[in-house]
Amino acid sequence: MFKKQTAGNDKQAGDDQKQHVEQLLVPDLEQNMERLERFLGGGADIVCRTLTHRSFPNQRYALFYIDGIVDGTAIGTMLLGLLEDANSQATEETDSLYTHLMERSIAVGKIFPATAVEEVGYAMLEGSSVILVDGSLRAIIIDTTGGESRSVEEPTSQTVVRGPKEGFTENLRTNTALVRRIIKSPKLRVDYKIVGRETRTNIAVIYLQGIAQDDVVKEVHRRIEQIEIDAILESGYIEEFIQDKAFTPFPLIQNTERPDTACASILEGQVVIMVSGTPFVLITPVTFVKFFQSSEDYYQRYDISTFLRLIRMTSFFISMLLPSLYIAITTFHQEMLPTSLLISLAAQREGVPFPALVEAFLMEITFEILREAGVRMPRIIGPAISIVGALVLGQAAVQAGLVSAAMVIVVSFTAIASFVIPAVNMGIAARLIRFVLMILAGSFGLFGIMSGLMVLLAHLCGLRSFGKPYLLPFSPLIVSNLKDTFIRVPWWAMRKRPIGMSSHQVPNQNRIGGGKRPDPDQEGA
Amino acid sequence: MITPRQLASTVILFLIGSSSLFLLGGNADRDAWMSVLVGALAGLLLLSCVTLQIQRLEPDRNLIEIFKLYFGRIIGFVFGFIYVIYYSYKCIRNVREFADLSIMYLLPDTPLSMVILIICFIGGYAVLGGPGVFFRMVEVLLPILVMIYVVLFILLLSAGLIDLGRLMPMLEHGFKPVWDAAIPEIISFPFGEVVLFLMFWRYTAADEYGVVIRMTIKGYVFAGLFITLMNIITIASLGQFAGWSVVPLLQATTFVEISNLLERIDPLVSLLVFSAVYVKLTAYYLGASIAFSYLFRISLRIAAIPVGIGIYVGSFWFKSYMHQVNVGFERNLKYHFPIFQIVIPIVLLLVMLLRKKVRNKSNGASQRQR
Repeated sequence: MFKKQTAGNDKQAGDDQKQHVEQLLVPDLEQNMERLERFLGGGADIVCRTLTHRSFPNQRYALFYIDGIVDGTAIGTMLLGLLEDANSQATEETDSLYTHLMERSIAVGKIFPATAVEEVGYAMLEGSSVILVDGSLRAIIIDTTGGESRSVEEPTSQTVVRGPKEGFTENLRTNTALVRRIIKSPKLRVDYKIVGRETRTNIAVIYLQGIAQDDVVKEVHRRIEQIEIDAILESGYIEEFIQDKAFTPFPLIQNTERPDTACASILEGQVVIMVSGTPFVLITPVTFVKFFQSSEDYYQRYDISTFLRLIRMTSFFISMLLPSLYIAITTFHQEMLPTSLLISLAAQREGVPFPALVEAFLMEITFEILREAGVRMPRIIGPAISIVGALVLGQAAVQAGLVSAAMVIVVSFTAIASFVIPAVNMGIAARLIRFVLMILAGSFGLFGIMSGLMVLLAHLCGLRSFGKPYLLPFSPLIVSNLKDTFIRVPWWAMRKRPIGMSSHQVPNQNRIGGGKRPDPDQEGA
Repeated sequence: MITPRQLASTVILFLIGSSSLFLLGGNADRDAWMSVLVGALAGLLLLSCVTLQIQRLEPDRNLIEIFKLYFGRIIGFVFGFIYVIYYSYKCIRNVREFADLSIMYLLPDTPLSMVILIICFIGGYAVLGGPGVFFRMVEVLLPILVMIYVVLFILLLSAGLIDLGRLMPMLEHGFKPVWDAAIPEIISFPFGEVVLFLMFWRYTAADEYGVVIRMTIKGYVFAGLFITLMNIITIASLGQFAGWSVVPLLQATTFVEISNLLERIDPLVSLLVFSAVYVKLTAYYLGASIAFSYLFRISLRIAAIPVGIGIYVGSFWFKSYMHQVNVGFERNLKYHFPIFQIVIPIVLLLVMLLRKKVRNKSNGASQRQR
C-alpha cells in the first residue's frame, strides 16, 4: 500500500510504471530530506542532524535516525567521530564528500550504500542510521540497530535443575548469537526472511548444512515464503501457517525458550525458526516423543532420565484418561473394583446429586477456571485465589455434598499430572482430549474410551510434521532410534543420529566414535 | 506405503483377531490345539503355494486389477464384486462379534444399533486415512497388545489356573477327530483369511518380492504359534468347561484376582480382545473399500461411505450373537468361505499360469519366426 501511494504522489515517476516504482534519490539534499520525512510520516522520534564538512563547504550532509530503536552508544561514538572529522581538513585528496564519509569518517562497523528513498526509510525503521549527502545519488546506511531490550535471563517456561540457565530473548540478533556461541561450526546456516506487510518481522531459519535434510530445509523456506499476512507478532503465527495439518489437537511444531534445546535439535538435523520479538523459537520437523523430552534428560544420568521420561509419559496418559476411567468404572463397571473400595466410593457418592459425568465435568471446568485465573490475574492477589480454590471449592464443596471426595482427588491428580509434561502445548492437547473422552466414558464406559483411543491412534498415525511421520520411531519402526525415546541410553551408546530426521549421507550418521564405553579395566591393560 | 515390518505386524494381529474369542477346533476336545497346528500348517501350504504365488506373478496389482486383467472386464468385474461382498460380509461378522460381545461384557443397557454405529465409525475413520494410516496403527498396537497378552498369560499362570494335565491323554480317539476339526474349518478361520492381503501386498515398499513373502510367512508363523499357545492355555485352564463357554479366554480370566487391587479384570481383557477384533474388522473394511474403489474407479474416501453403510445395515441381518456364530461355524466355514479362500484363488492361479505360458509360447514363436 505504501509503495503505491508514494508512486502515485510522485510526479516524476515513470508514467508507464504505475506500481512499485522505486523513488530514487536525487542530488538535492533538501528534496531528499523532505521525501524521506514524508515516507516516514514525520514524528517526534525522528532525529535529523545537518552537518557541514570543512573540506567541502558547499556540500551539507544530514544524519537521520529514529530515536529509541537505535543503539545510543553507537550513535554517540559515530556523532563524535563525524564532528571531529568535520572540523578537520581532509588530509588526502578525495573526489567527493560521499566517498570521504563512506571510507574515512564513520566509526561503525557495518555500513552500506542505498539509492532509493524506500530502502533508506525501511532501513531506518529497522534501527539503522542514514546519512544523506548533498549532491550524491547514494545515501549511507549505518547499522546502529539496538535500543532497549530485555537481557538474557533464565527461561521461565522451561526450567531445569541442571543445565544452562540462558534463555532466548525478544531480540533476534541476541538469539542467533546464543546459537552461534554454542555451535561454532562453519556449516551452521542462518537464512533471514522478512514476513508481514506492516510489521516486517525478521525471521531466521537456522540449520546445519549436510545434517539437516535438504528437502526439509527447502520446504521450510517455501512454506514461510507463502505466508501473506499483515503482521507477525509471535512465532505462533508462523506455526499455524506452516504446520502440516490444521485440524488436530496435537502440536506439529515444537517451541522452546532454551538455546541448548534449539541447538540439540539443530544437531539432530532439525530446522529452527526464530522470529523477532519473541523468545519462543520453533523447531521442525518434530515427532510425538520429542514433547516428552526435556533438555535436562541429557545432562542428568541416563537411568534417572529414563525413569523421568516414563513418568512423564504416564502422566500424559493420566491427565488424558484418569477422569474418564473413573467415570467409566463407577458408572458402568463397578465389578472391577475391590468390594471395600466400592463400598467406600458408594458411601461418598450417596449424597451427591449428580451422575459421575456431570460431577467430573463440574470439577474439571472449575479447575480450568482456577488455572486460567492463576495465569491472568495480577500476581499480588495470587494467595486469594489459592484460598478460594483450595478451601471453598475443594473442601467446602465436598462437605456440602456437592461433589464426592474421590472426585476431588481424581481431578487434582489429573491437574498435577498435566503439569508434568515438559511441552505446554502437548499438555493442552491432553487437556482437550480429556473432555471428549469423559463424554465418551459417561455414555459408553470402557468401550467408549477404547473407541476414542482408537480414533486418536488413527489420527496420530495420519499426522505428519514436514512430511515426517509423527509417531516416527514407533511407526514406521526404526529400532536404532528407540534409544532416545521413552528411554535414554547413555551418551556413549548413542552412536547414530536419529535416522529419518537427519540427512541420509552415511558419514554424517555417526556422532560418536565406537567403543567409548568407560571401562577402567580395559584402559589399565 | 507400507513397510515390510508393518505388513508382518498386520498379518499377526489380523490372524489373532477374533480367533481369540473362540475355542478353535473345539470338536477335537482336549486335542483342539493339535487341530489348530494342523490347520495352521495346511493354511501355510495354501498361503505359500497359492495366495502368494498369485501376487508373485503380478506384484504390482491388487486382486481386483488381476481379475480384470486375466478374466476380462465383465467376468473380472463380477469376480471383483463377489470379493467386495465377501470382504464386507467378513467385516459384518466381525462388527457383530465386536458389538454383541461389547454389549454382553461391557454395556448391557446400550442399544445394539448405537454400538454398531460407533464401531463402524471408528473403523471408518481409520479406513479414510488409507492403507498407510491403518498399517502404521497396527504397528503401534501390536507390541502393546502382545505385551498385555503376555501379562495375561503370566497372571493365569501365577493364579495357578493352568494345569497342563488337562491336555492329557493326547490323541485319545486317534488322529481322525483332530483332522476333521482342522480341515476345512480351521483353514477357513482364521488361517485362510490371509486371502484379504491380496488387496494389500502391492502397497508394500520392498525392493524385491522375496521380502514380502518372507515377512508374510514370518508373521503367519508367529500368529499360528500364538494362536496354538492361546488354545493350549485356554484348554489347560478351563478343561472340559472350555467347550461350553461363550468366550473361553474371558471365562478363564474371570478367575484371576490380583491381590485385592483388581477383583475382576475381564472388562480390561475384553478390551484387549476387542482391539484385535477391531484390527480385523478394519482390515476387512479397508479391503472392501479399496476393492470397491478399484471396481468403480472412485477414490477410497468416497468408496468407504457406501461400503460402510452396507456394513452397518448388513450387521442387523444376524438375529443374535448365537445366530451369527452358528451361521459362521456351521455353514460359512464349511461351504462358503473355502470357495473364496481356496477354490477361486486356485482357479485364478491356474488361469494366470496358463495365460503366462501361452504368452511365453507365442513370444517364443514370434522370436523363432524372426
